[in-house]
Formats: sequence, structure tokens, C-alpha cells
Amino acid sequence: MTQIIQTPAVRSSGPALDPVTFEVLKNAFATSVDLMSEQILRTCYSFVIYSRDFSSALCDAAGNTVMQGSGDIAVHVGTLHFQCKAVLEQFGTDIHDGDVFAINDPYRGGTHFNDVSFIRPIFSGGEIIGFAQNKGHWADIGGNVPGSFDVNASEHFGEGLRITPVRVYSKHVFLHDVAQLLVSNTRAPEQAMGDLHAQSEATAVCEREILRLVEKYGKDTVVTAMQETQDYVERIVLRQLEDLPRGTWETTDYLDVDPGKGEGLVPIKIKLTLDGTGIHYDLSESAPAVATFLNSGYGTSHSAIYAGTKTFFPEVPLNSGFYAAVQAEIGEEGSVVNAGWPHAVTGFCSGPYEKIMNGIFELWSQIMPERAMACAFNLEYLLVGGRDARTSEENYFMWYDWMAGGWGGRSSKDGSSATAPVFGPGLAVQPVEGQERLSPVLTTKHEIAIDSAGPGRFRGGLGIEKGGMLTDAHSTVMSYCCDRSRSITWGIEGGLPSIPHGVWLNQGTEDERFLGSIFSSVPIQPGDVFTRPSAGGGGFGDPLERTPEEVLEDIIDGYVSIDRAAADYGVVIEEVDAELDDYRILAEDTEALRTQIRASRRGWLEEDAEAVAARYREGTVDMLDVIRRHGVILHWGTGELLENSTTQYRQLMQRRSAAHWDA
Amino acid sequence: MANLRVAVDVGGTFTDVCIFDDETQSMRVTKVPSTPHDPMEAVMSGVRRAEVNLADVSLFSHGTTVATNALITRRFPKAAMVTTRGFRDAIEIGDGTKDDLWDAYNDVSGPYIRRRDRFEVTERTDYAGNIITELDETEARQLAALLRKRGVTTVAVCFLNSYANPANEIRMREILEEELPDTAISASAEILPEIFEHDRFNTTVSNAVLAPLVTGYVDRLATELKAGGYAGDLLLLHSGGGSMTPRMVKRYPVRLAASGIAAGAIAAKHVAAQCGFENAVGLDMGGTSTDICLVSGGELRITKEWQVEYGHPIVFPSIEVLTIGAGGGSLAHLDIAGSLRNGPQSAGAAPGPACYNTGGEAPTNCDANVAMNRLGTTLAGGARELDRSLSLEAIDRVIGKPLGMSTEQAAHAIVQVANANMADAVRLVSIRRGYDPRDFALIAFGGAGALHGAEVARELSIPTVVVPANPGVTSALGCLLVDIRHDLSLMYNAPANQVDPKDVEAEFAALEKEATARLRHEGVADEDAMLQREISMRYAGQWRSLAVPMGQGPGALQQAVQTFHQQHEKEFAFSQEDQPVEIYQLGLSAIGKTPKPGFVPATELTADPGAPASRREVYFGADGWVDTPVYERSLLPAGATFEGPAIIDQLDSTTVVPPHTTAEIDGWGNIRIHLHNLENSSEG
Repeated sequence: MTQIIQTPAVRSSGPALDPVTFEVLKNAFATSVDLMSEQILRTCYSFVIYSRDFSSALCDAAGNTVMQGSGDIAVHVGTLHFQCKAVLEQFGTDIHDGDVFAINDPYRGGTHFNDVSFIRPIFSGGEIIGFAQNKGHWADIGGNVPGSFDVNASEHFGEGLRITPVRVYSKHVFLHDVAQLLVSNTRAPEQAMGDLHAQSEATAVCEREILRLVEKYGKDTVVTAMQETQDYVERIVLRQLEDLPRGTWETTDYLDVDPGKGEGLVPIKIKLTLDGTGIHYDLSESAPAVATFLNSGYGTSHSAIYAGTKTFFPEVPLNSGFYAAVQAEIGEEGSVVNAGWPHAVTGFCSGPYEKIMNGIFELWSQIMPERAMACAFNLEYLLVGGRDARTSEENYFMWYDWMAGGWGGRSSKDGSSATAPVFGPGLAVQPVEGQERLSPVLTTKHEIAIDSAGPGRFRGGLGIEKGGMLTDAHSTVMSYCCDRSRSITWGIEGGLPSIPHGVWLNQGTEDERFLGSIFSSVPIQPGDVFTRPSAGGGGFGDPLERTPEEVLEDIIDGYVSIDRAAADYGVVIEEVDAELDDYRILAEDTEALRTQIRASRRGWLEEDAEAVAARYREGTVDMLDVIRRHGVILHWGTGELLENSTTQYRQLMQRRSAAHWDA
Repeated sequence: MANLRVAVDVGGTFTDVCIFDDETQSMRVTKVPSTPHDPMEAVMSGVRRAEVNLADVSLFSHGTTVATNALITRRFPKAAMVTTRGFRDAIEIGDGTKDDLWDAYNDVSGPYIRRRDRFEVTERTDYAGNIITELDETEARQLAALLRKRGVTTVAVCFLNSYANPANEIRMREILEEELPDTAISASAEILPEIFEHDRFNTTVSNAVLAPLVTGYVDRLATELKAGGYAGDLLLLHSGGGSMTPRMVKRYPVRLAASGIAAGAIAAKHVAAQCGFENAVGLDMGGTSTDICLVSGGELRITKEWQVEYGHPIVFPSIEVLTIGAGGGSLAHLDIAGSLRNGPQSAGAAPGPACYNTGGEAPTNCDANVAMNRLGTTLAGGARELDRSLSLEAIDRVIGKPLGMSTEQAAHAIVQVANANMADAVRLVSIRRGYDPRDFALIAFGGAGALHGAEVARELSIPTVVVPANPGVTSALGCLLVDIRHDLSLMYNAPANQVDPKDVEAEFAALEKEATARLRHEGVADEDAMLQREISMRYAGQWRSLAVPMGQGPGALQQAVQTFHQQHEKEFAFSQEDQPVEIYQLGLSAIGKTPKPGFVPATELTADPGAPASRREVYFGADGWVDTPVYERSLLPAGATFEGPAIIDQLDSTTVVPPHTTAEIDGWGNIRIHLHNLENSSEG
């Protein structure tokens, strides 16, 4: 017989534990969760988990999160309690000591199908006092494509195996049949079984620690501390809000396109209100769900809101106390931020997730200017899969690659270069030497991309260019999950955009093709070379106010070219002896050029867009001028004008960039 | 005649000189202030202060922070990196991760060599070691000329996949050596032939930027010692817990990067062995931080995941030490939600704890100990007087009043939180390896370790605490105790059940040949040489590997696979014996035994501690204020046994023996504290 301890309806006004016991238990909860993470990192099979796409949490008896791992991936933040509550709803009193549950259901607050959670109830004296949970990204979870990222999916049935709450251990007995059913629906059943064991065992580490605390401090004290740890976090946030202005702030960010509706950016509208009682968001004016898999379920939209907000409260521990202080209205089901069953949602991470986060960065930049930050590059995944002809077995291979990129410029310094995506700043990029062993893809370059940073008084961080060539393989296709080929990474406070995302096939040859930022199953042959950049961050502040000396340093390091120094910053620099890093700033020419840019730039943003497109097609204006000067959005391969997108993007640039220029 | 062994450990504040006299079997210690502008000054002045005639020294060993400090302050010579076309940013991109996941203004520091000093050449080797593109030698020579023009004095050569075939990289090194004879060259496959470009490149780059400086320092010191009459080899303590002579420091200066941290861990291991403990936790608590290390089965844990700064890995094997921000000077405070916190901010030397009366107004752990009378008001034999009233005032103002606690309750609360934080850190290093801290002894040292050791042990249910004879200078003792050691490795990716054991044996034999050559180069006699094999394995599909000992002969591999299953079960609570096991890497430690001091225990034991030097009221939480004897450590005879509470004062440290414990001075001069009633021990 089990009994679920319910969260008190009214929170206690003050702490009941003495300060030492509280601090000791709060820290011990953190240790118990970090121990789980530590173990999973050392025993996992999925290379995605190994690259730190996982999280761990201790939840209380009602499923609320007491403590989340200090190194957890941001994208799981604020979803673990939904998954735990789903288990509670499903099984109620039918939960026993020695059970372990699996769940990955994005329609029950999960992220996407690849992220599989294992949840172990912790019992003391015959009743549940909490749950230990570990969520990790499996390399494959079935569905139409290897890696389970089917860009073309519009419903979930082709995306992969949906795991509603299910028991994999019952009263300490491993349920072979159930586990086998789960892993048999993936492309690498043995690996999946390895991760299933590794994750289940990791939750036992947390259970052991919590039971040790119960033995030492008593059950009631530990249970009280679980609640007080949440109250503590809520109190910290509310206390910090007291020092901040009240009001309402709004912004809009965009997905590139909804293929079901034709050309035009897809708005995600974010309204933030601070009224002294908490932090309130409203996303309900956002667009309907799109006809690709770039939709968010309610779990991940909440996660984006929490993670975006948390960036401005970096010291605050993550638990349900934080989620209590932050409320979000995400509107009716069926929208791009609340997609609901059976909309495809696996690509949420490249879609609404980071749009919400960056939009939130922009809003809070106005409230806390000392933590301000422009837009960061977009999360991207390139998948190349086929038969590996390097050995006679011709095994299936999957080159599944993601890149670091640039974060936005800040109010006191440039953006961070070559950094993991904001959706998970701990998500490590894979070493090329490891990838080359595993797949017949030769990396041709992995380098910082010159001029990829959005110009500004403080420029964005730099993005990266990564190229690959298919070697000994056959039956190979390539898919890409990204965005911001059109809704290009933007600047704020007068800063300029960076560069568009998108994959190029055989660039600079007769067979050159721009494949865009989202595509599926493009066949490729041995010898084909593909390359794509990750965007730099957007700029912060007017680039004409950047000092020529700072621009010069960027030229010496090859972050900015001499041509773009003139075009973007109006700084004229002459090479004296590049071999000795010897350049000269031409002060008078710089002054003259800056004056000229100031006089012209508002006009450039209103120039006839079709005329700009025509000049791009004939090669008399380059891509960066089209974007940064004219705010015009094209199909970057053909040069075709995207009229609606251009109108929307120009509005965005007027608001974020031009409105802040002195002249 | 040469009868002295001298060990010098350079720390941030003090340089400790530890002298062991083989004739009298006695040890003495001298402390002099460190001289950061040139650490050698303090080394030599310490030697003079100790009145050591260098001609009487049989062995001179040295733990130095020269390399660590250079990496932190980034005072590097003009360095360059040469790499495969398309990959010059490998050390700037790294793995892309942030250390601070949430503070968007807290960035990872930049690479050790800036982009402007990183150059590319045309060449390429594939994953299997096939050369796809030969090194373009014309380009290589042009690049050499450019480096000369730029005045580069040290170069890291880092080619992609050179771990699989170093030919192109070695050719590049040869060309640079021809063209730039006075320049130090570090080639990645020769520094560390391991897979993963960021790890290998960064280790090589670290080696390159340190080469001129560290080599110069070591050479100068060796010359100075020789001039003073020292006839032996200077031994430099390295991160792996062994030492090297200047001859090998020239090739692998980066191995000195954790020289300073290693010494304390080695000393902890020695003290544990002396007391008969196979398993021990070392708790080295200083002014600003605590270093925690783990001895299991008589050996220190070694890690290859190590760095001076986040994002810049140095993947040579290094003693695993967890450093946390808890020290005598750590500040207690209430956060904005009114919760009691301790550290990681520290009052440091300036403004210092409140009781120093040097401007510090916030209460520290030191103040809390003073307030409870655990720490007396006279430090270091009178070198510093503490003002207890300032401690009381600070604790009352910052903690006591806001929380409605008496001053002593508040002081006790501060120390309890500090102790719990240290206990959590010990749990992280032990439990994550599958160890139960209750099977361990706690070796407490450093300036503040003995003040907190017994209560940290109680928090962890550790039954015994050992406080070594000179807790404040224990690290220097560690320097006396190291062997010459080199760690070699080789990538070897293959399923364990498909390889020919003869092939594995041949690879080990090749490593052993190289290792033997290195030891001979160091002047180690063959009878003092010892080689230890290790093999890293994992379940096919796993990402991390686990290293286990490897024997010799036909059954060795099979045995190692069995050991792997057992070790996996022990560390991670599961094993999969039906799953294929994959070999990942072969490792070899080459040890050159150096003669050790022959510590001899006292044979005459006296149980009576004698009369205490004084008595005072000391606060012990639940036990309240207790009339407590204060002993002078130098007067306590070997064998002395007494019940807590007691305070034991000595020049470099104070030991707290709480109530419900028994203290015993062993024959080696260690204080052993045995804790009673561990089970029902919710202290406070």
C-alpha cells in the first residue's frame, strides 16, 4: 500500500528547519543528483549522451523537481517534473519499491522521442518520499530515418517510438520482455539496452544517497527539506524581482517558413510582464503549428521559457520553486509553441525553442542591461547516413554532426565565439578524429568563419565553417535540421545581423547547390563535398562606434576581413606587412567613410528589394551586404527574392538596429 | 658525506624546505616566504636558512608551481602552432562547451596560442594512418622562414590523425629543426600519441608554451645546486605523482603543470601506509581551498581529465585531486533568501579573517573557530596575535543576529556548513567510484585540516582520523617520497576476443623498450627499474574506458578482461559479461625507484599524555561549552592516549579532538583520533 504525500496547498511562510540542516540537505540533494550525472557519463552508450545531452533530477513525492543537475543540458530544464507527474498520473498507487519507469512522451511534457527518462521511486517506511530521474538522448529511437530526426514528418508516427509511462523494473525484477520491446524499435538495440541499464542504475545512486540522508536526519526532515529547497528558490527569485522595474515588454522572433503556407517568416510572439508577484509570459499570439517537425510541445516551450529566464538568474538553483515563480500562458493546443498530439515535434530544438530563448534574452536585456545579449546562432544537426564501404561488412553508418557557433554581442564585450548552442551550453562538439574512425566522411575543414560575426559596437561571437567529403560509401543520403537561413541571427541596440545558416553542396563548382537550412534525404555520392557555416552572434550597438583599434585586432586574428572592416564598421585599414601583423589604420579615410555610411544606411534599408536581388544574381553585391545593409532575404542559391520574408525582416531590422542609430 | 635528503615545496605563500637526516633519522622543516618573481630565490634562501650544506645532500627533490603559474598568468614566450590545413582553430573551438552553463557573461578563456600565431600547411593523414596528402615541403620551409621572421622561440606541431601515423608530423618537426635550430619543437604524436585532436593538440600546445620557461628554470636551479656542491640529479615532482630529472623536463615540461598539488596527495598516501590503512581520504585544507584525494588499495587515483583552466585539457595522467573553495579564510554569509552559506569566496590574506584585525569585516571559518575557542589567539608560536572580540562581533553581526542565534551557535553553524561541504566533496570523489567512505581513514593536514578533520569524519562516518606530525608542511614531505616515473600510452582499438594476444604482447614490449630507454636516460640503474602495464577497455559501444592492470604471458589478456568486468561492477554497479569488450588503449608506467628515508617509529610508548599546558572552555555544539585541556604537541610522548575533548597546539597547526573520541599519539608521531558512536551521530 503506498501513499503519495501531496505538496501542501499553502506554502509555509517561513522555514521550519534550522539553517544548518537546511543548507546541508540542500547541498546533499545537489550531490545526489550530480552523482547520477557522473555515473551516466562514465557508462553511457549513446554518443549524444556522452556529449552531455542528458539531465538528472530529484523530484519530491508529488513529482515536483527538488534539484536538477548542475551540469544538465538547458533543454531538459523544466521538463523532468512533467515526466515524473505523468508516471504518477498513470500509475497512482500502483508504484512500488524497486520499480523503474521509462517515458519519452513529448505530449506528456517530454522533449522529443530520443530523450528517454528513467524514473525510480524512492521509498521510506512504505511510502514514496521522492523520485530519482535520469533523462538521456538515445542515438536512435526508430522512425523513418536513422537518428530519428525526420525533417519531413508532420505527424509523430514516423518520428520514432513513443514511450508512454511504462515499467521496466517491477519490485526489483527486470522486465526483459518490456525492455526488449522498447529497444527492438531502435536501429541499435544493443546500445539502447546498454543505455537503459546505465540510466536505470544511475537512478539507484541517487536513491542510495537519499536513503542515507533519511537514516541520518529522519524521513520528515528530509521531506521537509525537499519542500523548503523549492520554497527557497522561489523566495530568491521573488526577492530579486523586488529590485526590478514593473511593466510589460514584447518582442517577436521568427522561424524561417511554414512549407504548408508558402514563403513568409513564422512569428513567435513573446510578452513578458513583471508585476511584483512573479514573472509572467504570454506566447498565445504565436503562429499555428507548421508543416514540418519544427514545433514545440508544451513541455519544451516551458523549458525554453525557464532556461531563457534562468540565464538572467544564473546563481539560482533549478527546481520547481523556480517554475512556481515563472508562469507562462502558451495558448490553445495547435500552435507552433503548443503543438499537441500528433504534430511532429522532434525538431523543436532548432525551431521554437531557441527563438523563445533568444526573444527572452532580448526582453531581459532591457530590464538588466548589464546582462544584455543579442541573438545567438541556431542549433543545427547534419545527418549523413548510408553504407560504409570501407569494410566488407558494409555496415550502416550515421555521421550525425552538430556545431558550435557564435553567441550575441553583449553590453560590455563581444559575443562568445565557437560556443555550444544556447539550448545546451554543455553540449560538446565531437572530435573530428573520432568521427573519421566511425564514418566514411573526411572532414575538409573545421575552422572559425571569417566575417561570420554580426557587426556591432560589441560584435557577435564568431561562427564556424565545417566541410566534409563522402569517401567509401554507397546508398547515402543527407538531411539537415536547422533554421535561420531567412530569419537570420539578429543584432540589438543598433547591432547588425550575422550570416544565414544553410548547407552548400559542391560549393564553387559547376554542381554547386544551396540546400537550405532544412531538408531531408538528399542523395550524395562519394567525392561530393558539403559545407555549412554556423552563424556568428548578432551585434550589440552601432558598429560605427566600435573603435578602429578593436577592428584592427580582429583583422590580425583573421576574424574580420579588411573589406568587411570597411563595409560593416567604416574602418579603413591598410596592410603594411601581414607576415608581421603590421597594418595601419587610415584615420581620415575612416572618418570620411563613417560619415558616408551614416548618411546612406537608412536609405539602403529601403532600397527596392527586387533591384537588390537582381544585383545579387549578377554578382555585383555580395550576400553580407544584401543582409546587413539592405535587410533583404533571398534564396541564397538562386538569388530569388523572398518578398514576404524581406518585408518582415526589414521591420525587424528597423526596430532592433536602425532605431538605435544616432544618424 | 651525503646524509641529507632535501625536499622543497613551493606554495603560493610559503616555500617549505623539508630535511631528512639519514644518520639521525630525524626530519626538520624550514619555512620561508615564497618569491613569485623568481621562485628560485626562495628555494635557495630556504636551503641557506636551514643551514644545509649542499655537498651533504644525497637527494634533492622539488615540487614547483612555475608551470602552473605560467599557465595561469599566461606569461609565455613567442610561441606558434603549425597544423593541418583547415584545422588551426581546433584549440580555439575546443569542444565548444561553457564551464558556467548559465552565466552568459562568464566565458571560457581563450587558447594558449592566439589565432594570429597558428599556421597551416598542406598535408593530410586519414583515420587509419594512410597518408592522403604528403607534406608540402616547399610550404613547410616557407612557413619556417615566416616563423623565423616573427621571432618564434617555441613551436607546437599538431597534425590531424598523427596518433595513427606520425610520419608527416615528424617530417615537419625535422624541417623546423633544420631551419630553426634554436627553437623548441613539440610534436603532438611524440608528446602524447592519443586520439582526439583537441585534447592532444592542447596538451602539445601547453608543452610548447612552457618549454623555454620551465626548462630555463630547472636548468638554472640545477646549475645553482651543482655549484653549491650537490652531486646528484635534481628531481622534479610531476603531476602523475612521480618525478623527472631536468633531462626529461626538457621534453615534457607540461608534466610539471600540477607539480604543486601532487605533493600533498603523495604525503597523504605515505601517512596512510605508515598507519596501515590501504584506503584513505586526504583532506588538505589551507587558507582558501581544500584539496581532496583518494587512496584506494594503497594507490592514489589517477585521472587523465585534468586542466589548469577550463577548456584547455592536459591529458597526461595526473593524480586525481578535487579542489573546493572551502578554507580557513572562506567567508560565511547569508544569501538574499536569508540562507546560511559558506564560501567559496575567501577573505584570503587581504583583508583576511576579522580576527586578524587587518581590515576583514566578514566572518570566516577561522573566526568561527576562534569564537568557539577551538583556535587559540596566538598563532605560529606568537608570530600572529588574533583578536577574538573582532571574530565575535563579525559573527554576531552577519550571522547570529539575523538568524536569532547566540554567537557560539552561529559560530558552530558556520563550521558545520563548512564541514558538510567538505564531506559532500569527499562523497563525490569516493562514491562516484563505488567506494564507501566508512572503509576509509581520513588524513587531515594543511594549515586548517586538523581543526575540522574529526568533524568531517563524523559527517562521513569515517572511524579514524590521522593528523601527521607536521600538518602544515606535509606537502613538502610528499616531495621526499617520490620515485622517478614516466607514463607511456598507445591507442589500440580492437575487440578483445578477436586480437592475437601475441600482438598485444608485442606492442607492450615496444612500449617497455621505450620506457627502459627513458629510465636509463634518467640514470636509473636497471635493478631499480620497474614497469607496470595497464590496459584500458570498454564494452563495445561505450564511450568511456576503464583501465585495469595487465600481466604478462598468454593468459594475461583474458585475465584483464575478467578484471574489467569486476571493476565495472564495482564502480558502476553493473557489468555485462555477455557483451563484447573492446580494447581502447595500452598504458605503461615506468618507475625508477629512488631510495626513501627510513622512517623509524619510536619504540618507547608512554600512555600518559602528561599535564596539559593550559585549559580553556571550548564550544562543542550539542555538548555546549566544555572545560578542555590544551596540549603542546611537541611535549606529547609517543603512545600518549586520552579522551576528547582536547586541543593540541603546535607551531604550524591546531588539532581539535572533539568529545566522544579517543586520541592517541602513534610511534611515528601521528595523532590518531578514533571516533565513538558513529551510528547515532547526528551532530549538533
